Amino acid sequence: MSFVFKKQVLGLLDLIRFKKLVPNRRERFKNGSDSPLPKTYKVNEAAKIIHPGFRKAVLTEIRDETADTKTFFFRTDKPFVFKAGQYATLGCKVGDSEVSRPYAIVGTASDALDGKLGFTVKKTGFFSGYLFDEAKVGDEFTVGDPSGEFYYEPVKDAGKVVAIAGGSGIAPFYTLACAIADGTEKLDLTILYGARTSADFALKKELDALAAIGKIKVVYVTSDEKKAGFEHGFIGRDLITKYADGDFTVMMCGPDAMYAFLDKELAALNIPLRRIKKEPNCVGTRDVAEKEYKLTVHIGFDTYEVPAKSTETLLVAMERAGLKVPSKCRAGGCGFCHSRLVSGEYSIAGADKRRLADLKFGYIHPCCSYPDSDMELVVPKAK
Amino acid sequence: MRKYDAVVIGAGNGGLVAAIRLLQGGAKVLLVEKHNLPGGFATSFRRGRFEFEASLHELNDFGTADNAGDVRVLFDELGVTDKIDWMEIPEAYRVICTAEGLDATMPFGVEAYIDKMESYVPGSRESVTKFFDLAEEVRLAQAYSSSVNGKTDSKVMMKEYGNFVRAGSYSVNEVLDVLKMPQKARDILGAYWCYLGANLSDMSFVHYASMVNRYMKRGASMPKMRSHEISLALVDRILELGGDVLMNTEAVKILTDESDGGVAGVVLDDGTEIETRHVVANCAPHVVYGRMMDNVPEDVVKATNTRKFAGRGFTMFLGLDKTADELGIENHNYFIYDTSDTAKQYALMRTIRDNSAQATVCLNRAYPECSPEGTCMMYFTTLYMADDWGRLKPSDYFRAKDYVANKMIDRFEKDTGAKIRGSIEEISVATPVTYARYCGHPEGVIYGYESQYWDGLMPRLLMMGEDYKVRGLRFAGGYSMRLSGYSSAYFSGDISGRQTVGDIKKEG
Ligand SMILES: Cc1cc2nc3c(=O)[nH]c(=O)nc-3n(C[C@H](O)[C@H](O)[C@H](O)COP(=O)(O)OP(=O)(O)OC[C@H]3O[C@@H](n4cnc5c(N)ncnc54)[C@H](O)[C@@H]3O)c2cc1C
Ligand code: FES
Repeated sequence: MSFVFKKQVLGLLDLIRFKKLVPNRRERFKNGSDSPLPKTYKVNEAAKIIHPGFRKAVLTEIRDETADTKTFFFRTDKPFVFKAGQYATLGCKVGDSEVSRPYAIVGTASDALDGKLGFTVKKTGFFSGYLFDEAKVGDEFTVGDPSGEFYYEPVKDAGKVVAIAGGSGIAPFYTLACAIADGTEKLDLTILYGARTSADFALKKELDALAAIGKIKVVYVTSDEKKAGFEHGFIGRDLITKYADGDFTVMMCGPDAMYAFLDKELAALNIPLRRIKKEPNCVGTRDVAEKEYKLTVHIGFDTYEVPAKSTETLLVAMERAGLKVPSKCRAGGCGFCHSRLVSGEYSIAGADKRRLADLKFGYIHPCCSYPDSDMELVVPKAK
Repeated sequence: MRKYDAVVIGAGNGGLVAAIRLLQGGAKVLLVEKHNLPGGFATSFRRGRFEFEASLHELNDFGTADNAGDVRVLFDELGVTDKIDWMEIPEAYRVICTAEGLDATMPFGVEAYIDKMESYVPGSRESVTKFFDLAEEVRLAQAYSSSVNGKTDSKVMMKEYGNFVRAGSYSVNEVLDVLKMPQKARDILGAYWCYLGANLSDMSFVHYASMVNRYMKRGASMPKMRSHEISLALVDRILELGGDVLMNTEAVKILTDESDGGVAGVVLDDGTEIETRHVVANCAPHVVYGRMMDNVPEDVVKATNTRKFAGRGFTMFLGLDKTADELGIENHNYFIYDTSDTAKQYALMRTIRDNSAQATVCLNRAYPECSPEGTCMMYFTTLYMADDWGRLKPSDYFRAKDYVANKMIDRFEKDTGAKIRGSIEEISVATPVTYARYCGHPEGVIYGYESQYWDGLMPRLLMMGEDYKVRGLRFAGGYSMRLSGYSSAYFSGDISGRQTVGDIKKEG
């Protein structure tokens, strides 16, 4: 060393100070408070309101909307906050299976602080069928965290939003309209709402009431019926340019066929990706020859062998067999079902939304993967 | 009941390395992680066409095969280096301090750093060279200390590492005073302070010097597939070595033995009891002693109550639909401060209103292919030094998030001249609330216990033996003896893992 470091004139004093490091810390510890350590902390308590987790929900009301759509209202015992447009999973035991599905939250910020929320559900499949035919007021369900990124981002989105809804895809926009009406969100909202006939518009009365206060405009578009006061046809570039100009963000929620059509229409309008949000749909069945494979599943310390159909996702195979496994978006995007592949061949529905390293080290999202052979997976237990 | 030689609680950086060390030492190991992914903060997430890095700005002390840093040496020993695709970070940092009008961009490499400093601050060469000489002696002294497992011979220390010992009890500022470093050079040299999270009057010189030296000597690296690649590589290795790993599994209790108060088992969230005499906890002692154990000895309660939480994290992630060149983002790593007076800056960082410091990365400047062609991505991080986020009304939470996000964007644009606001395709924001939930740390702390001079690196290392209070319970990660940061967390896992192997062997 080319120089001698000394802070005190006598380096010896520096040395003594060094020697005191340990006794000093020891002394501090000895003089510490003996009051019990906290069980929780302020920020962690705040986290429980922002991320309330899976919780019990009691069905309090069922409201008919249209022939195939109902709104189900629930009460939970925890307050929460959410962004209008987010979804939560709703689940319960159906037969031998633990089943849950994501639905857009219907309700206001103040409902949520009272622990209340609703879901507007269209009758389509297994779980919605159960809700329609079996669920009754007083039944117990489980709801999950407010989730997803399908919401208005004031930091980046345009001040004007064109919302395109197909069928029950109206739910997140109805909630967004409520949030505009009560001042939670600040934006101009034009909803282009498509359905087959004028009888198929869920929440129409509520939407019309909200539109009356300004900032919100709702355009009803029927595809199978011509009627005064309704636009006719499919929602595409013509209707978009008729009702919106300048800089706007497009948010769309509806069936995949609607997205496929609109993707082309928006491209023709040169709308950049940053101005487009799309709520992905749950992965359904695939159209292939039906085969049955053997799926070996490790959960915790247990191993199960269950059948898996070539036409259904691995997640569904596990749920059918009554296994309790994690799921949230059921669309491949949230990563909640992240599982380790031990062996087997599979195909992914739609775009691969996994992390790069997941591919490299063999992790898959069972909610969007179909088996192409016998398979073996390590799946985290559902919480 | 299932029986393991050791249970590792938490699959963060510290826990993952501890598990491998235990397995290499022949132990039967169970690793439990409450989240559904391993890595803790060392992870990544997808938004649209972007995959964001959740935390890592750059991994220091890794180096290259022929200039290997301590982390690479460790990863070689663990058997994971080659499971990961690495790339090197091009330059150290750009620091901007508005009050002082400071704007400097610094390279890696001790020589290059000293030269660049001299060009910004003529006359700084001597003091900056001395700083690095001292820092190198710190490194050598620590290597000696590790080689004798902390049982250093004071004669050897005095003879070989006298400067280290004489500087070892002082704060960064106290040492820089002695070195008579010109103020502007101190301001530039001090830029890394927010990585350790204590102001330079509070932070021990040894800790800071050792970090700066590690950065400058070996440069910094990054896994191409974000830190998720490291975390999965470590899990891969654990599985190869026969370890059991359970995700979505929280350890809720550590059972103790009535005879000696030591570890007897672990209870998992579904009620499963695991028999074990050894735990490596990759979480805060506050959580372990406050919630997971009964009959905690009084001296442990007192010691734990004494410690100070380090910064609570906040990060904004942006996916932009133009290239870094098009947007005018010139550098990889920015530190943007109001002032280079770190005590003043630290005080400003207590509240949501006053904090506008940021450490910001544009990953494309290190790895252009990290996002699709024609795009780039950035992450902006700051620390809160108090619990403002816990005082917010829940209904104000989202507004507060947007407020800070906007402030970060405005600040970055104003101070660097880049234009990013109109090109944001994806945005995601993590607050202390997010971090509190994600890893379960108290108050959303991301840096463990603060590197206060009295509780800094040296005293923690010197007291490693006596901080081991409960038989069979050791800690790894940001709250333990090496303090926080990726490399430190890996090292603590290495130390606690190996020590536990020793504990197991002793029991026979
Ligand atoms: C935004 C950000 C930027 C950062 N930038 C950098 C950087 O550029 N360079 C750098 O070196 N460092 C950086 N850091 C710090 C660094 O990430 C941390 O210091 C380091 O990852 C800490 O590792 P850890 O081992 O303490 O584990 P943690 O990441 O804290 O993980 C602990 C794990 O334990 C799990 N766990 C806790 N309790 C239980 C339980 N009871 N049962 C089961 N599991 C449990 C948690 O879920 C978690 O997975 C940054 C951090 C953040 C958040
Ligand atoms: S449930 Fe969301 S990715 Fe599978």
